[in-house]
Amino acid sequence: MTTTQRPPTETAALQTNPPSERRRLRLPFSPWHLVLIPLTFILIVPLLWMLVTSLETEGEANRFPPVLFPESPQFSNYSEAWAAAPFGHFFVNSAVVTLVVLVSNLVVCSLAGYAFARIRFLGRGALFVTLMATLMVPFQVTMIPVFLIVKWFGDNVWEGLGIDHIGALMLPNLATAFGIFFLRQFFLTVPVELEEAARVDGTSRIGVLFKIVLPLSLPALSTLAALTVLTSWNDFLWPLIVITSQDQMTIPLGLSYFQGAHRVKWPLLMAANVMSLLPMLLVFIGAQRYFVQSVASTGLKG
Amino acid sequence: MIRRKLAISLIALLAFVLAACGGGGGSSSGPTEIKVWHGYQDTEGEVFKSLVDQYNREHPDVKVSELYSSNDLVLQKVLTAVRGDSAPDVAYMFGSWSPNIAKIPSLVDLADEVKQPDWTWDDFYEAERKAATVGDQVVGVPALVDNLAIVYNKKLFADAGVAPPSPDWTWDDFRAAAAKLTDPAKGQYGWLIPADGSEDTVWHYIPMLWEAGGDILNADNTKATFNSDAGVRALTTLQQMAVTDKSLYLDTTNENGPKLMNSGKIAMLVTGPWDLSQLSDIDYGVQVMPTYPGSSGGHQTIAGPDNWVVFDNGDERRQAAIDFVKWLSAPEQVKKFSLGTGDLPIRSSVGQDQAVLDELNGNVPGTAEFVENLNNAKKVRPQVEQYPAISEALGQAIVAVMLGKDQPKAALDGAAQAADAKLAEK
Amino acid sequence: MPALLRRLSRTDTVSGWALVSPAAILIGIFGLLPVLMSMQLSFQKSDLLSDETPWVGFDNYKKLAEDPVFVEAIKHTLIYTALFVPGTMLVGLFVAAALNRSVRFISVYRTAAYITMAVSTISQGIIFLWLTDRDYGLVNAALNSVGVSSQPFLASPSQALYVIVAMTIWGWTGFSVIVYLAALQGVPPELHEAASIDGASAFTRFRTITVPLLAPANLFLLVWLTINALQLFDEVYVTTRGGPLRATTVVVYYLWDRAFVQFDAGYAAAMAYALFVVILIVTAVQFRLARRHVHS
Repeated sequence: MTTTQRPPTETAALQTNPPSERRRLRLPFSPWHLVLIPLTFILIVPLLWMLVTSLETEGEANRFPPVLFPESPQFSNYSEAWAAAPFGHFFVNSAVVTLVVLVSNLVVCSLAGYAFARIRFLGRGALFVTLMATLMVPFQVTMIPVFLIVKWFGDNVWEGLGIDHIGALMLPNLATAFGIFFLRQFFLTVPVELEEAARVDGTSRIGVLFKIVLPLSLPALSTLAALTVLTSWNDFLWPLIVITSQDQMTIPLGLSYFQGAHRVKWPLLMAANVMSLLPMLLVFIGAQRYFVQSVASTGLKG
Repeated sequence: MIRRKLAISLIALLAFVLAACGGGGGSSSGPTEIKVWHGYQDTEGEVFKSLVDQYNREHPDVKVSELYSSNDLVLQKVLTAVRGDSAPDVAYMFGSWSPNIAKIPSLVDLADEVKQPDWTWDDFYEAERKAATVGDQVVGVPALVDNLAIVYNKKLFADAGVAPPSPDWTWDDFRAAAAKLTDPAKGQYGWLIPADGSEDTVWHYIPMLWEAGGDILNADNTKATFNSDAGVRALTTLQQMAVTDKSLYLDTTNENGPKLMNSGKIAMLVTGPWDLSQLSDIDYGVQVMPTYPGSSGGHQTIAGPDNWVVFDNGDERRQAAIDFVKWLSAPEQVKKFSLGTGDLPIRSSVGQDQAVLDELNGNVPGTAEFVENLNNAKKVRPQVEQYPAISEALGQAIVAVMLGKDQPKAALDGAAQAADAKLAEK
Repeated sequence: MPALLRRLSRTDTVSGWALVSPAAILIGIFGLLPVLMSMQLSFQKSDLLSDETPWVGFDNYKKLAEDPVFVEAIKHTLIYTALFVPGTMLVGLFVAAALNRSVRFISVYRTAAYITMAVSTISQGIIFLWLTDRDYGLVNAALNSVGVSSQPFLASPSQALYVIVAMTIWGWTGFSVIVYLAALQGVPPELHEAASIDGASAFTRFRTITVPLLAPANLFLLVWLTINALQLFDEVYVTTRGGPLRATTVVVYYLWDRAFVQFDAGYAAAMAYALFVVILIVTAVQFRLARRHVHS
């Protein structure tokens, strides 16, 4: 195999273009940008609207059709929004909850996902269906029983896990059937021969998981991480139900401060929303490194 | 990689422990703590907080803690808390929920309490007292009152050469004005109504029904009477403007009324005082709703009072909660709150104080007209637990007519049938 | 039974259950138990207010069968799902394929796709309400400029549901893209290179090499998007509230309305469990079809 400087996919594309075409279409940048830019623009329109609204005055935000170009950008909306509620504290709460939920999901769902993917054990099918069933009933229906169960934990196990504590925000989300299903599907794509080879060498099941499967599943794990962070960070209904003290609130609850009975303070709400997106943005940019599977680590060659 | 994961987990666990320990507060013997859940934010929130602080200072044996608990989903939060034995002590509840929340066992019946003279219960506007009463039970203390009147754009009227709304207006005058103020080419409409079929839509129709001389239910709340001639007359007005004249903008999202008004696209809005502060970009006036000529109804409006309800969390907390609510709704605090927020005063003694009216109008023009309009709130919605079902049937009927999919008599008859069936169930 | 036990080794069963138990315990307590507890509610007449919750057996379920609004809600939910799921998968695959290359700034584009998922449903709702507004929306402005008259879109009983389909496909594309991107990483580039040397076009290579390798991701998206589509609520709540005239009333919206507006929680629970059975059956069918497809 020749080593090239360019990544494999572009090499392949160039090789299929006949020489005459290559000489004609010589753009200073890849033609894909012409597709990606409009596509991305369509996708991020809500974001752009959020940004624009966050820089408007209240009067401008209270117009319909909406004002697209504020007269003078109100950057003060950001400091005003931050000061409107103890967002620093909310941020810490959100971060702690999200971190614990993330780590827990990655660990627990990896173990279970691998078992469902590769180990044939008695009752596997029935258990999988049962776990999936928990995804099929809307939260509005189960929220009162979950409330009662979490309350029981708070009263009988440890106060920090109960109503009105951030522990209560973590408990019901420490593992989800979503994560298990997701990882199961991706673990199925790891070549079984590699695992079998290791088992023949005497590696235990869990050893195979940690030494072979997980390192090859970085894109899937980082994707699950990104999705878990998203869901946990933006969770609104459960924290609303369970938290009754301001010092235990998370960011989405803080955002609801801007939504009054008869009117919404759009500029401040959007400013706060934009600020709350930033950590997720950072997480994703960090996780991007693991999205691309480096060919060298697959060990498929030779 | 694994070691790093373990390290992160341990740090997270530590942080979690620290944070969780910070949150839990052990209750000790000391001041009685009561929790108040409300939906006040912004100016209302600030004024309310300052009142709570004042109360805490003046009553060292009680500690009132207030929690902003959202406006949208507050019912889900309260119901879950009640079912989970974690109810607050005081909660702000919409008046339309009264007949149903009356069934909550831990809700305190204040009937005997408010009979005591120092409450001056009759000083509260009649509509509020009715909205807080379900049968013999008094489910709460008034927290808020408002009503519907016409808010109109003075400039659009002047530009079109139409005389602005007057107290002598009839619905025919209103209709004519709306037609003249409609210009589809400019995207301008004479009137806007929330058309999502919810209680908001119904709420706009009801005062018209009352003005036409009709009622929602009969005297003993066993049958629907909104499909009477009066009801059909009122709904026909809406039909004429929505379908025939096309001067009535149907806001099916129930979001855009004040925004469109503020953008100068709507000439008249029938709304409450809460919208006035959003109309910063136009010059507006306030006028009572028109009447139906030849009807005994005269001028009517509908009030939407909300209540502070008290939950029983033990003798000590219950009494502390009642005392707090009593203080909060006393004339002095009512005046302070009203002047600070621009909300209508919930006591007629304060509402008749000219100095208060002048100051209210100085802060947000038009507020005084809304206060005076409270005297036109003569009737209330029936305090029956089936009201949500009646509202739903009516709402769908009204929207169907306004969208041109049904005729007033047929639609109202259908809704009345559904309502009667629901009333018969109990 | 003995034959089954012979095929499944005991050590496998032990290690399997060992790995699965943390998840099973957590989800059992916080996922399964609540599902069972609220199933009880469906056999009672309850308003969540008073303490009296008389047992009514299957009455709630019988009422469901006779409820014309429920039947409508099921219809709307199924139409919605049938359009949303394939739509989101196709759009997501297309965008993911576009993003699966090492063009400069590709991480910027990918980040943009991801961050769209972080935008709240409320913001999405507001944007779409504005874009599709009959009088002031951009879509109608564009239609007018080519001679098409203004459409009511979300204000029309006949069009509203389809606008919701479009809005939710837009909102879920980011998710679909992220999942497909992860799956596309598992497609060894050597296979593509070998095929292209043999003269296969980009599209043929995509169709014959990439797509089959995406089978597990496809199943995941198919199942997960379907489960979500059948439980649609948020987007309807922030835009049409089930209207106009119930055109966008889907099952979960209807049950929320029954529970928290009409105070008929027992009936709402029955609806949830009727829906649950439907979702379970649909999911089982999807898994069965997938397995047969793989083995054929």
